[in-house]
Amino acid sequence: MECVVQGIIEAKHVDALEVLLQGLCGGLRETVKVHEICLKTGPNLGAVPSEIHLLCSLTQPEPVWRVRHTGGAMRGAGAEQLPALVRPVLESGIGNSALRFMYALGYKLDYELLRSGFSFQFHRTIPINVNITVSVTAVNRLPKMHTLDEAVPVTPGLHLVQLTAPASPDNYSEVVGAISTFAEFLAPLLHLSKPGVFAGIVPTASTAAAALVSRGGVTKVL
Amino acid sequence: MPVKWLFYWQPNVGSQVSSQTLNDVFKRIDSLHATKSTRWQITASQYRPNVRDQALPVDCARELLGVTFTEAPDKIFFVLRQEHMVVEADATMQAIMERLQVYRNRLTVLFEGFQYELGDFRVKAGRAVLAPVENLRGIIMEVEYMPVSSLEQSRAAVLEFMELWQEGVILGQFVPLELNFTDFSLSDHYCWQHTALQYVSLMAFFLSQQRT
Repeated sequence: MECVVQGIIEAKHVDALEVLLQGLCGGLRETVKVHEICLKTGPNLGAVPSEIHLLCSLTQPEPVWRVRHTGGAMRGAGAEQLPALVRPVLESGIGNSALRFMYALGYKLDYELLRSGFSFQFHRTIPINVNITVSVTAVNRLPKMHTLDEAVPVTPGLHLVQLTAPASPDNYSEVVGAISTFAEFLAPLLHLSKPGVFAGIVPTASTAAAALVSRGGVTKVL
Repeated sequence: MPVKWLFYWQPNVGSQVSSQTLNDVFKRIDSLHATKSTRWQITASQYRPNVRDQALPVDCARELLGVTFTEAPDKIFFVLRQEHMVVEADATMQAIMERLQVYRNRLTVLFEGFQYELGDFRVKAGRAVLAPVENLRGIIMEVEYMPVSSLEQSRAAVLEFMELWQEGVILGQFVPLELNFTDFSLSDHYCWQHTALQYVSLMAFFLSQQRT
């Protein structure tokens, strides 16, 4: 399972967010360029209709394919109180014929996206070991099938920021706590909330961004 | 990876495949002073589409085959024979397929036995049984020729090895499983996808033999 929060940031503040994340995470910035294909079962197939995502990473010399299945979010009064969404997720690497394979199994193309941007890893050991992935991506839709070169932004001028961390039924509340704490570090630039609960943009983000970029500039010179 | 050739036991007319055949095979390998190493197991499963209403049509492959190897525990291989496709995935893909419930497991054949080292050859001998009742379906030998990764280059050495090994065997013989790998876009350079195709083909062969 995974814990997730997300938010949006204006494109003009993405550089500042990168500076902030570089400072917080310390590790390497990884480029993200993922062709995401959402597939749904055709009629009359499966115990219930299902959905699966194929993720093709385009940052390596050869495309790298993964299959991702996301289950329904944890529900109930306890889950409502949590500041992050908790949901079951399974992911698996798969060969290059993934799309042809899923078509053969009766899946049909629903929609496809191109996500491009960057990500950082944040590792916390106290109170438990948590690996938080922060991804900052522009989400583009493809007007025609598989036409990555013609991708157009879904929300021009806005980037999606997602914080995700793997969790288990035993530790998800601590992981949610860790994500929530990390989200506070980003509060000067963006609000993060559960997917589907829009928290808006930070009105004072410009001031925070200006301060971060100037400090980031000094760091780079040093 | 080294090339693996797969052989199945074909009894002479009037003879039956039995557990004793396998014991005789083990004895024969032992008599060559081969080093017995580990146990091995390969699981081959057949899946059928999970159709909600049998009266309505469905647009999907009629059969899906999956193979896992104890030698490669982090991988699963899928084969679509009609569509000529072999797909390699992480073992987690099995859990994803179970969660999706788009295909249902119809039956599983286990290949299991012992592995031996014999100079440049690694030999696996074992039985194919229908799980979970352990109904014997066949006897197999897998011969791995360690120095070579090319199917064609290994052909002569492996067939000669089996010919010598079978000298004096009277109740039947091991027959090589010959497949057209190019139909499945698999090259002459041997990999796990070849092995997966070999085992699902052998499973299908054993099951079809039982029906006839």
